[in-house]
Amino acid sequence: MSTGFFTDTTLCIGCKACEVACKQWNELPSDGYEFTGNSYDNTSQLSGTTWRHVAFVEQMHVEETTIDDRWLMMSDVCKHCTHAGCMEACPTGAIIRNEFDSVFVQPDICNGCGYCVVSCPFGVIDLVNVFNPEASGAYGLATLNEQRLDDKQTAIQATGGVAGKCTLCYDRQTLGMTPACAKACPTESIQFGNLEELRERANARVESLATRGIEASLYGAGDVGGGIGALNAFFLLTDRPEAYNLPVEPVLPSTRQPAGYTAAALTAAGLAVAGWMIFRNA
Amino acid sequence: MHNVTSPDEAFAGASGRDSLPATPTYFERPMLKAPHWEWNVITYLFLGGIMGGLGVIATIAREDKEDERRLRRSARFASFALAAVNPLILISHLGRPERFLHMLRIVKIKSPMSLGVWGLIFFSGAAGANVARELADAGVLPRWMRHLAPSVTTPLQAVLGAFVAGYTGVLLSATAIPLWGAGKKHIPAASVCSGFAGACALAGLLATIEGNHAVTRKLERLEIVAGGAELAILLDFKRAAGSYGAPMFEGARGEKLRTHTLLAGIVAPMALNLIGSAIRLPKPLDAVRTTAASILTLFGGYVLRETLIEAGKASAADPRAAFRQPQ
Repeated sequence: MSTGFFTDTTLCIGCKACEVACKQWNELPSDGYEFTGNSYDNTSQLSGTTWRHVAFVEQMHVEETTIDDRWLMMSDVCKHCTHAGCMEACPTGAIIRNEFDSVFVQPDICNGCGYCVVSCPFGVIDLVNVFNPEASGAYGLATLNEQRLDDKQTAIQATGGVAGKCTLCYDRQTLGMTPACAKACPTESIQFGNLEELRERANARVESLATRGIEASLYGAGDVGGGIGALNAFFLLTDRPEAYNLPVEPVLPSTRQPAGYTAAALTAAGLAVAGWMIFRNA
Repeated sequence: MHNVTSPDEAFAGASGRDSLPATPTYFERPMLKAPHWEWNVITYLFLGGIMGGLGVIATIAREDKEDERRLRRSARFASFALAAVNPLILISHLGRPERFLHMLRIVKIKSPMSLGVWGLIFFSGAAGANVARELADAGVLPRWMRHLAPSVTTPLQAVLGAFVAGYTGVLLSATAIPLWGAGKKHIPAASVCSGFAGACALAGLLATIEGNHAVTRKLERLEIVAGGAELAILLDFKRAAGSYGAPMFEGARGEKLRTHTLLAGIVAPMALNLIGSAIRLPKPLDAVRTTAASILTLFGGYVLRETLIEAGKASAADPRAAFRQPQ
């Protein structure tokens, strides 16, 4: 069965319960506290240790408050792409597609090469530097976490420098449980379930919003283009994707390989022939 | 629908990008993650090109000409030495070196890193066999070891060498980093050219030290061709990349690329090599000229790789480039 997330941004109230629930369930260390000044967003981005991130998009008039002023909130997450750049790039086979059709990183296989990090068109996956706690958090929680996990010999700990991202709560799913973020979401902005069912529900939601004069569109319920296909974690948005820091034209990086290998081969052949001629005519 | 005045819009208006639309972004936050790669990966890319190029040179050089015979031997030794050191440099960036073995679990056609690792292993095998043959011929190793290198290992090292020099370019361009993606043809082609030029430079340097002056002329001519091609490809990359190319070709990094790689690393050694072809300089002066040209070429090759990686980091930090990714 293919499962996924439907994140309906019109229902998000920016409470960050998803961020907290994810951190707690997955035993992810603190990223430290940095006051960004960017609305209420002090998390800033998805990272190897932050698998849900609530974005706060402020669209306010500077001079005076009007009816058009709005605050868009969106809980971002790994998209679990149909054709995933990270998974194609991974040279160890650590990144796999599991029985729920989610893209899953096996932390004990990952060797920390970092190629998936630059191969994600959405900038989701990142390395967690377990051996350098100072880089991971101001409160040193990474160190505590490391010691605790040392005993357990569990995933993130056992390795130094390992790729991390949303697992779509693989462990919870195998027990028939809802992923932590969706469970914690108080407004059902994050909905978890069978993908086909979620897509139907999402289309119905767009229509229902339209009858109330709210323009909304789905991001990733269908093919997002660039060879990536549909996203197993898709979104309902009320502004352009860029407003939420999502790419409007993402591209699957591996689609550039044929051109690259051809260019390299032709250049090498040309230079080899030139060399052969120079050596024989000299 | 929303007539909104935000600081983002003011910023977008002031940024003055040409082909990329000026879009208000999310607090100017980067959309993509920057590469974690530092000096070790840069050095690997640089030495990998030279190592592969030397494999090709060793194959082009003929057995029956004394100067080329000596070139072939030094190219084989140098290529093998690089093949021994380079993986260690690459492995050093993994943090825990033993995890390199995880790469050997699978062969993945879709992953240039996976293919590259296997290419590197087979290249090292061919390079090792060819060196064993040289040592057996010299009487250092037992004579039977000549048979470790049948006639096929010489061209094999050339083919794998071309692959090893070129795949690193594909590895970079097949990522989400907008600058690298925009160079999907240029970066692999430039990597090959820079690798060949670097191989000619290193082989020329070794030939000068050996006193094998007859062969330096040939190497210099090949270096002129490789350098000229590299220059043309980089200039065309700048043109084709448009505003995606800004992190590499504009500002302080662009200035460094121009002075260090294009001028000092390609044009200057090309001029020195042309002088060598045109005028017969006295031997000591000629050795200085060859050495200078070689060192400049190698220097330019390193700066090219360094600029590519560092500009890739800057490109990842630009959300506007990441919104519409190059095809």
